[in-house]
Formats: sequence, C-alpha cells, structure tokens
Amino acid sequence: MTTAAPSRDAKAGPEAGATGAPASAGRRIAGALLHDWAAVLSTGFLILVVLMAICAPLITAITGYGPSDFDAAAVDSDLGGLPRGAFGGVSAEHWLGVEPQNGRDILARIMYGARVSFLIAFSATVLTTLLGVVFGMLAGFYQGWADQVISRVMDFLMAFPSLIFMIAILSSLPAGNRSVLLVVVISVFGWPYLARVVRGQTMTLVNREFVEAARASGAGAGALVFKEILPNLRSSLIVMTTLAVPGYIGTEAGLSFLGVGVTPPTPSWGQMIASSVNWYAVDPMYFAVPGLFLFLTVLSLTVLGDRIRAATDAGEAS
Amino acid sequence: MARYLAGRIAGLALILFMVCLFTYLIFFQLSPDPAVMICGKTCTPERIVQIRTILGLDEPFLSQFRDFLVGLFAGRDYGSGANLIHCPAPCLGYSFQTSQSVWEMIVDRLPVSATVAVGAAVLWLLAGIGAGLLSAVKEGTWWDRTLMGLALGGASIPNYVLALSLQYVLVVHLQILPFPSAVAFSDGPVLWFQSYLMPWVVLATGYACLYARLTRANVIDTLAENFMRTARAKGLSPVLTMRRHALRPALTPITTIFGMDFAALLGGALITETVFGLNGVGKMAADSIAKNDQPVIMAVTLLAATFVVVGNVVVDLVYTGLDPRVRIR
Amino acid sequence: MSELLVVEGLTVTFPTTRGLVDVVKEVSFTVGRDETVGIVGESGSGKSMTSLAILGLLPRGAVTRGSIRLDGVELLGRTDREMRRVRGEQVSMIFQDPLSSLNPYYTVGLQIEEMYRAHRGGSRKAARKIVTEALTQVGIPEPERRASYYPHQFSGGQRQRIMIAMALVCSPALLIADEPTTALDVTVQAQILRLLAGLQRETGTGMVFVTHDLAVISTIAARVLVMRRGEQVEYGTAEQIFAEPRHEYTRMLLESIPRIDDEVAS
Repeated sequence: MTTAAPSRDAKAGPEAGATGAPASAGRRIAGALLHDWAAVLSTGFLILVVLMAICAPLITAITGYGPSDFDAAAVDSDLGGLPRGAFGGVSAEHWLGVEPQNGRDILARIMYGARVSFLIAFSATVLTTLLGVVFGMLAGFYQGWADQVISRVMDFLMAFPSLIFMIAILSSLPAGNRSVLLVVVISVFGWPYLARVVRGQTMTLVNREFVEAARASGAGAGALVFKEILPNLRSSLIVMTTLAVPGYIGTEAGLSFLGVGVTPPTPSWGQMIASSVNWYAVDPMYFAVPGLFLFLTVLSLTVLGDRIRAATDAGEAS
Repeated sequence: MARYLAGRIAGLALILFMVCLFTYLIFFQLSPDPAVMICGKTCTPERIVQIRTILGLDEPFLSQFRDFLVGLFAGRDYGSGANLIHCPAPCLGYSFQTSQSVWEMIVDRLPVSATVAVGAAVLWLLAGIGAGLLSAVKEGTWWDRTLMGLALGGASIPNYVLALSLQYVLVVHLQILPFPSAVAFSDGPVLWFQSYLMPWVVLATGYACLYARLTRANVIDTLAENFMRTARAKGLSPVLTMRRHALRPALTPITTIFGMDFAALLGGALITETVFGLNGVGKMAADSIAKNDQPVIMAVTLLAATFVVVGNVVVDLVYTGLDPRVRIR
Repeated sequence: MSELLVVEGLTVTFPTTRGLVDVVKEVSFTVGRDETVGIVGESGSGKSMTSLAILGLLPRGAVTRGSIRLDGVELLGRTDREMRRVRGEQVSMIFQDPLSSLNPYYTVGLQIEEMYRAHRGGSRKAARKIVTEALTQVGIPEPERRASYYPHQFSGGQRQRIMIAMALVCSPALLIADEPTTALDVTVQAQILRLLAGLQRETGTGMVFVTHDLAVISTIAARVLVMRRGEQVEYGTAEQIFAEPRHEYTRMLLESIPRIDDEVAS
C-alpha cells in the first residue's frame, strides 16, 4: 500500500501536466475563435454542410426525391430538357432545382455529393497525417540511414507534377472502388509535405532537454516518441491537418471534374460542375449551386485553418 | 562549380530515370491490357494484335523499357515493312489514335501553353506582390484586412468554378469579351489579348492570392530585422530603406517558389486550358485521358516532371546568384 | 564649455495589453564632448530604450516626455524627416549583434558608402575612397578588397569593426554603443573596447556606452548611470560609483563582477 501510492502519484503527475496544458490551450484557441465573426460563420456553414451530409437520407425522404431519381415532369422536353420554372426549376418539391434533361434533384445530389467529398477528404487527411507523422518521426528520430531513405523518397514524390500524375494513375488503373483509389492516390502524393515538417520538428525536439532527461532516466524509444515528442507536435499537426482538408476537397472535386474521380452514378460536386458546363449559358443555377457549395466549403475550411494557426501562433508567442 | 553542376545533373538524370520507370510501370504493367487502351474506342481485334506486336508488349518488361529509353535518345521504328512508322528522337511514343508522334503533338501545342503560363505569371507576380507589399506596409489597417480577406477567398475558388463564372458574366451575359480561343498574335494583338485575358486571370488568381500572403509575411518579418533598425539609424530615406534593405531580402525567397510554380505550369495548365478550350499541352492531356490515349498521357507526365525537375536545378542556380550567403563550392 | 548631450527627465511610455507602462522613468544625464558615459543595467532596465529614444527610433506607439538636447538643440518632438539629418550625421549607433545588424544581401562597402552618401552626397567613386579609409581606421586588413565582401564573410569581431567604421564615417558628434561587445568572445571584446576608446580619443566623439556589464564600464567610462526597471538608480563618476556605491543595487552589481583573484582561486 505504501509503495503503491507514490507510484500512482508519479504516474498521475506527468499525465495531469500533459493534459492540463493542451486543454487550456485548446480553450484559449476556442475562445479566440468565438470572438472572430469569420471563424464563427465558417464553422456555422461547415456544421450545416456536415449535417446535410449526415441527414441526406432523411431529407430526401421528406422531399421524396433521391439522388438518382429521374423526374421527367420537372423538365421541359420541348426546350431540350431545360428545367421547368425559374432558377433552374426551384420549387416546393425541388428546393435547389433539378438537373436539365433527366430532372434529378440537385439538393439530393449536393447532399450525397457532400458525403463523398467529405469522406474522401477526411480519409485522405487521416491517411496523410498517419503516413506523414510515422515517416516524419522515423526520419527525425532515428536520423542516419532511415532519414536518408525517407528524405530521398519524399524528394522523389515532391518532384512529380502531382495533379497530372494523379490523373495519369487514376486513368490507367482499373475502375474498381474509385473512392478508395482517390484516397490512396491523394495520400501517396500528400504525405511528404506533412512529413517534412514533422521531421524537422522531431529533429529539434530530440535534442531538447526534456527529451534528453527522459532518455537519461531510461525511457525507451516508444515512450519517448509517444510521451515526449508526439504531444509537442500536436499544435502544428492540428494546424496542418485543418489546412489540408480544404486542399483535398478541392483536389477530389478537381479530379472528379476532369472525369477521373468519382464515377457516376455516385454524385460528386466536381462531377456536377463538369456536367453543368454544357448547360451553364441557359441554366446557370445548375452550375451555381455546386460551384457555390464547393467554394464556400473550401473557403470556410481555409478561414478556419488560418484562424486556428493565428491563434496557436499568438499562444506560442505569449 | 563544375563539380557541383555535374552532381546536380547526375541527380537530375537519376530522378528523371525514376520518373520514366515509374510512369512506364504504371502504364504498361498495371494497366490490364495496354494494347486495348492504346488502340482507342474504334478498334478491331486485328488492330489490337498489330499494336501488341509493334510495341513489343509481349516481350519482358525490361526490354520494353529499354526500347523506350533508346527511343528517347536515338529515335525508334515501330513495326516493319509497309506498316513501318518512324519516330525520330526524342521519341516519347506514338499515338495510334491520332497517328502522330507524341513529340510532334507536344511541340505543336507548347506555344499555347507557354503563352498561357507567361501571361498568367506576369499577372500574378504584379498583383500578388503588389497586394502583399501594400498589406505589409499597412499592417493591421483596413487595407490589410480587406486584401488578406480577398486573398483567402481567391485562394479558395477552384479555378474551373472561377473560369465558368467569369465566362458566364463577361462572355455570355455582358458580352465584353470574345469566347476564349487560341488566337495567334499575328491575327491581331487586340483579339489575341482579349482571347487570352480570361485564361490568364483565372490561372493567376490562385497564385496571386498565395503570393500576396507570402509577400506580406516575408515583408513583415524583414521589417522586424535588426538591419532595418540599422538602416534607420543611419539616417537613410524611407524610400531607400524600403527599396534596398527590405524588398530584396523579402522577395528573394519568393523567386524560388515562383520558379517551381512556373516550371510546373509549362507542362500545361490542365484545367484552365480544358475549360477555355485552349489547345495547349494541358488540354491535350485532358483529351487523351478522356480517350485513354496512353502514350500521350505518359509523355505529358514525363514532360511535366522534366520541367519540374529541371526547374528545381535552375531555381537553385539562380538563387545562388541572388543570395550572397549561398555559394557553390 | 557646454555639454554635448543633455537628457532631462526622459520618460518613455508604451501602450501594452496591461495598460500604459513606463519603460523609462525620469532619467537625466549629460555627456560632455569627448566624454564617455556608461549606462548600466540588466536586461529590461530601460537602458536600450533610453539610447533608442535619443535617435527617435523607438517602436511605434511609444510616447516620450522630458527633454533631449544635442548641442543645445531639442531633439524630442522633431519630425522623422528632421531626425533623419541627425541620425548618422550627428549621432550614430552601433548594436549588440553585428551580424544581424548588417544587411546580408549587400557588401559592407556599399552599406558604409550609402550612409556617407545619404548625408554628404558625392559620387560613388569619392565615397569608395572614404569607405577604404574608414575600414583602415578600424583595422580591417586589405580594406579595398574587403569592402566588396559580404557581412557573413567576416568574423564577429571584424563585423563589429565594420559597424564602428560605418558609425564614424560621417564623423558624428555622439556615438551610442548599445552592448557592442556582448555578443563577442572575451578576447575580441577587449580589442573592440580598445578600438572604441582609441577612436574616441582620436576623433573627440562623445560616447554613450550601454552595457549590462559593470566590468566593461570600468575600463571605458568616465561617468556612469545605473538603471533598474526604467528608473535611474545612481549617477556619478566612475570612481565614485566603484569606490562607494550608494545604492544597494549598484553594490549587488559590483559584487557580481568576477575578480581576477576569484578566477585564479577556482
């Protein structure tokens, strides 16, 4: 009993310290963001889009039109399939109008498209972060030949014109599961940018006193990495990942726009914009709706990432 | 210097070789049947067999790859007899869909891509650096906040969305500009300028926003340097202090980024060219993707990678001339 | 003979998140022609702010009160344009870290030359001769060739010599040296101090020598001002202060100077 108590205290000490500091830092950042109208608006919009994506089946059940349901009554076949009514066929049934020719509900396609976009972007971010952190820390922690190998691979991947290369790979690979393929391809070309930063920071952290102290007191490599280095990378990882998500949403939309991303009938914003190209002169709404959703989503995420970075920078400076 | 250059060129060659190998692997090994892909949509079984033998697709991978590399430097003949197709060096491949050597196709379209890239680069450097400077000098004011807000917004518009919006407003609705097309300069400078204006603006917007943010950050950092205090303590005029002591340190790092961005663009602005129907290398790549014309896609990938890798070396060389602290041994 | 620099009741106020803070409070001292006055204090004591205030180089937002007179002329309240003629021409300054105080992108020759030409005009060719002389004066070997070198190609001590050459190129009446030896090795420190003292005797320039190190002051200054937390703690001749420090804080500073016999003992 007498021996157990101190050991529990010793364990609780560093843990309390580790969770205590970031929690207050997190609260401070959240506080700073709440006072910034741009950050609040961005967050609001993102919550709306995420809710739309999650509740897509529910909302389509209310409106009665799924993402792939044709509605011949909503389009005018005499006018070459243009939507009936103003603003691209906005009506009580089709809140954001319909697609020309086949009359598919745009709201439903936007919501299901958001699911695809967000899923791909978040999966790609998770995978990129994982790869970036693992390889970046391996290179930074062990240095020597591990660093040599990883750094050369990163140079090699970063030398590629990634957009053209992604397109090339996606166009030559057998169809298969496009979404998974997109995530893999985006991550393979994305991780070096994160790993480079992680590597640099790990290298400086390894030589800091507290890591030296932990090492001297007999901590193993695993303990050093997970208890000492990783928690110190947290703030820069948060900033990098929030700024990566809008990039990946844009990349996914761009690839789908070019026809090598998500394949129909799965809806995707980029794909919707691509198919609206032939119609935008006569039916601008068809283009405007997905265009606006894409732009506002990327903008909100970018603004949020930018403000989080500003708040963390200010925190580090003080 | 000579040793450094030799080293850099060797490294460059190695990376390009790896890129070749990698692209070749993807197109000819991962693809289920390259001959079917290469042949295109209107294709007969005989034609597929013919392509397979012409390209030597039944041979082992390494010998195929060797033939490809030899073709790059010495040119190569496809098939024999009446079907003989000669592909002079640098032979990047032969498009069986357009019956043209890929190199010729690229050379035909490179001027359009270069025009798009150069015009956009001029625009984004002027706008981006200008806005960044103004923001930095007026840090914290209404100017700064407005410009940086715009920069965030501009960087968030996917360029095809911007392209289509501009086209709708300026061409379809207001009819100020003609529909963009690859008009030659000799057809009249005004028409040429009008035709390329939208592609330039669209391509430049994203970069300009990025450069504005970079310039602002660099200038603000430089203004806080000790040597700026020295310059003021010396009694130099504010104009000289800014122009000589702040601008050069602040803008030199941007040349590196500019070099890389510009090199990447020379390989074709895929989306912009496609949206505006400009017949450059980028549009050719997009069309080839749609048609699955694999030799062309592969060649464009290689070309773009070459631009990036060579651009990297050029940028490093230029940088040593711009920053006296970096010297080649 | 009138004093060269008279500072009276100088107060510098900064707006901070915690309201207005006086970083310098009611500081007064005088510097005679060809006299060296030392300002001593720990970091944050306001000694650097005092010296920056003389040149009107305080960060934006700072408010100064009191009086700073150079040759009987008031410097406070002048426009930046007017102050520009004072900076470099009448009062020049050298800083703690010579590497970051020189612009890495330009040759040292150009950086000295632009200072001379900003105040005296003339052709680049004429200015180049002046640069060579100035570099010779501070003991840079092969001055003509070295003028075309960049700051990073010199050693720390040489860089500070270049800063001194630059500061003296317009023969100012007053030189402010803000911790000029702090970033240097001990042996180089002594050389720079000797150089400064020698040049000061030669040219008859008044000098304000700012440092945290009383030991350095003892070798160079005739009068000493001790500062702490923005306030003037003690002001008198160097002998007075070293012999009979009146203030507790000065005594503490004096005791922290390592003695030669201490070093031998340890």
